[in-house]
Amino acid sequence: MSSQRERSRVLQTTRKIGELIMEYFSKAWDAKAQGKPLAWITVFTPVELLRALDIYPIAPEHFGAMCSARGLALDYLEEAEKTGYSQNLCSYSRCGLGYALSGMSGLMPPPDILITFRNSCDVYVKWWQSLHMHLGAPLFVGEAPYVLTLEDLDNYVLDYVVKQLEQLVKIAEEKFGLRFEMERLVEIVKLSDKASELWLETLKFRRFKPCPLGGRDSASDIFPLVVMQGTDQAIRFYEELLAEVKEKANKREGIIEDEKFRLLFDGIWLWYAFDLIKYFEDRGAVFVYEPYSEAWAYRLDASKPLESVARKVLAMGLNVDIDLRIERFLESIKEYQIDGAVLFSNRSCKSWSAPQLVTADILSKKFNIPYLLFEADMADPRQYAEAQIKNRIDAFLEVLGER
Amino acid sequence: MEVPSDIRDLCRNPAALLNRYKDSGVNLIGFTCSYVPEELIISAGLQPYRISNTGANVSALTPSFVCPFASAVLENMLRLEDFFSGFVVAHTCDPMWRLYDILKKKTSKPLFLLRVPHNTDNELSLDFFKTELVRFKEFLSQDFEINIDDNVLCKSIELCNENRSLLKSIYMLNNGGKYRICALDRFHLALASMWMPKPEVNAQIKALDFHDCKSDNNVRLHLNGTSVYDLDLMKIIEESGGFAASDDLCTGSRYFWNNVEKSNDPISALAHRYLKRAPCPSHGPIEDRLEYVNFMTREFKVQGVITFAERFCDPILYDSVHIRNMLAKNGIRSMLIDYENPTQEIGRIKTRVEAFIESIGG
Repeated sequence: MSSQRERSRVLQTTRKIGELIMEYFSKAWDAKAQGKPLAWITVFTPVELLRALDIYPIAPEHFGAMCSARGLALDYLEEAEKTGYSQNLCSYSRCGLGYALSGMSGLMPPPDILITFRNSCDVYVKWWQSLHMHLGAPLFVGEAPYVLTLEDLDNYVLDYVVKQLEQLVKIAEEKFGLRFEMERLVEIVKLSDKASELWLETLKFRRFKPCPLGGRDSASDIFPLVVMQGTDQAIRFYEELLAEVKEKANKREGIIEDEKFRLLFDGIWLWYAFDLIKYFEDRGAVFVYEPYSEAWAYRLDASKPLESVARKVLAMGLNVDIDLRIERFLESIKEYQIDGAVLFSNRSCKSWSAPQLVTADILSKKFNIPYLLFEADMADPRQYAEAQIKNRIDAFLEVLGER
Repeated sequence: MEVPSDIRDLCRNPAALLNRYKDSGVNLIGFTCSYVPEELIISAGLQPYRISNTGANVSALTPSFVCPFASAVLENMLRLEDFFSGFVVAHTCDPMWRLYDILKKKTSKPLFLLRVPHNTDNELSLDFFKTELVRFKEFLSQDFEINIDDNVLCKSIELCNENRSLLKSIYMLNNGGKYRICALDRFHLALASMWMPKPEVNAQIKALDFHDCKSDNNVRLHLNGTSVYDLDLMKIIEESGGFAASDDLCTGSRYFWNNVEKSNDPISALAHRYLKRAPCPSHGPIEDRLEYVNFMTREFKVQGVITFAERFCDPILYDSVHIRNMLAKNGIRSMLIDYENPTQEIGRIKTRVEAFIESIGG
C-alpha cells in the first residue's frame, strides 16, 4: 500500500486544469477591460449561444467549487449567512452571494447580465433573483421544462426552449448593441460538439480493466466542457487528455496499480475533500463512472444549430425523467462492470439527493449492487464528518471484499 | 358568527372525509398545490382533494434535509393511496418536483406532473402553460374515460370562481378596520374549500354571518410563507394578542385571490389565471412577490410580518432576505420562524410570537 500512496493518481493532462481555470477567470477581467459584456451564468445555460454573441460567460458554481477546493470558501459563506442567507441553502449559492456582497474584487468581475436557465434545479432562479436584487444587474431567466419522455425533445417543449433562446438573442442585441450571426453559432456548435465527442470517447476507456482515468481526473476535467464549449482551447485540452488515456489503456496501466473494486459515484464531488478519492484508491477502489461526468456531454447537430442547443439545454443534468436516468444507471453498470455504488447525499443539492434512496433501492434489487450512501455538503466543509464517513467506507469496502 | 363544527373537525383531521368519499363511490384526485386547476378535475366528474402534511411524519424515502412539508405530503400520498384514483403533482419547487420522481416509482395510481413555468410575465410561458393544461385535460380524459366538454368546464370555472369570491369577500372585511374576521375562521373555510365538494362548502360559507365580528386593538400582523395546515399557529397568534389580518400563504390568500375571466376559450382563461395569479415564491419575478406583500401590508394596515418557513424551504429562505429588507425600509418589523414540525415545536414558536407581538406594542 505504501507504494500506492507515493504514486500520483492524477493524469498529466489533469494537472494542467488548474492553470486553465485561472486563465479562464483572468481572461474574464480582460474581456471586461475591452468592454465586452460579461454574464454570470448557471452551468446549464446555453454557453454556445453566448459565445456566438461575444458575451463572456463565467459560472459562480465553478467559483464556489474552486474556493472550496482551495480552502477559501468560508469567508464568503459567512458573509452570505451574515446577510441572512440560511446555512440550509445551497453552499455554491452562499459562496457566490458572499462574493457578490463583499465587493467582487477577486476572480470574477462584476456581471453585466445575469443569465440562468431553470434546468435540474429551481434554486438557480432564487439565487439569480437574489444576485439581481443585490447587484441591480439585468436578469434573464429561461427555463427548460422537465423532459418526461424523449418526445419532449422534438415537440412543443423543444419549441418553447428554442423561442426562449431567440428571446435571449434579442435581449442581448438590444441591451449591448451586439449582432447575432447564425454562421458564427454554426462554427461554435461544431467546436462544442467536437469537445463532447472527445470527452465521451475518453470516458469509454474507463471500461478498461484497470481503469486509466480516475475520480480525481473526471471531477476536474469536466471544467472546459461546462463553460469553455465552443473554444479551440477546450478541444486541445480534450485531445491531449484522450491521447494520454488511450496510451495508458493500451499499456494496460490503471490509475491505481491494484484495482480491486470498480465503483459508480452519484453526486457532485466534495470539493474540499479530494483526499476521500485517494482514501478509496488506497484501498483498491476506483471510480469508473459518474452521471456527473456525462452531464454536459451532448452531441450537437450543426445543421440545426439553435434547435440542437435547445435540445442540449433540455437534456442536460437531472432534467430528464427518473426512468430515463435509471435506465442510464443500469446500462452503466454493465458497460463499466461496476461492483458497487457510492451515493453522496448532498445537503446543498436537494434536487439531486431527494430521489437517491429510491434509485439506490432499484440498483440494489435489480443488479444486486451494494451501495454506500453518505451525507455531507459539496462546498461547505463544516458539514463534513470525516471520521464517520471513512468508517462507513471501510465497512462498505469490506462488504465488497467478501463478495 | 361560528364556523360549523364539521368544518372545524375536518381541518383537524382531513383524512376523515376520505371514508365518506369512498363510501359514496366518489373518484378522488389528490393534488399538491394551488397551481393545479381544480376546475379541470371537477369538469371530469372527479373530486379534487388537496393533500396536506397533516397527520404524517416525514417520509423515510427522502433525506433529512429535504423540505419536511413536501416529505410529509409524500408520506400522506402513499399512506392514503387507496382512497385515490390518481394524483397530480405540480412542478413548483425542487422537493415537489422530485416528489413526483419518487411517487412515480412507488405508486400504482395514474400520476401526472403539471409543468408550471417559472416565468409568469411573458407570452411564451403562457402558451407553454396552455399546452400543459391541454395535456392535463387529455390525461384526465384518457385515464378516466371521460370527455371534458367546454360547457361543463365553464360551469366548473363558475363554481370555483364563486368559492374564491366568497373567501375573498370574507377576507376583505378585515381591511376597513371595522370588522375582525379571525385567521382561524378564515383558514378553516379556505382549507375546507380544498377538501369538500365546492357546492357544499359554498352553501356553508353563504350561510355564515360575519358582521358581528367587531374590530379590537390586537396587533395587526401579516403572515408570509408557503402552506400552513397546522392551525395551532393561528391560535397562538390570537392567544398572544395578535391578529393575523392578512397573509400571502398558499393555503390562504394565494388560493383564492384571483378569479378566472369568463371566456369562450376556457383553457386559455385557466392558463392566464393560474400563471398570473397572486405569486408563489417559486414563480415569477421577485419584484411581483415583493409588491404583493407590500400591497397586503398597506391594504390591511399591518404592524408586523411573521414569516413561517419550513426548514430547508429554499424559495422562502431566499425571499425572506429581500422581504425583510423591503419591510425594514417601510418601517414594518418582521420575524422569521423556521420549523420542521410545528406541532412538536409549538412551545418554542409561541415564545417567539409572544416576544415579537410584545415588541410591537401588543
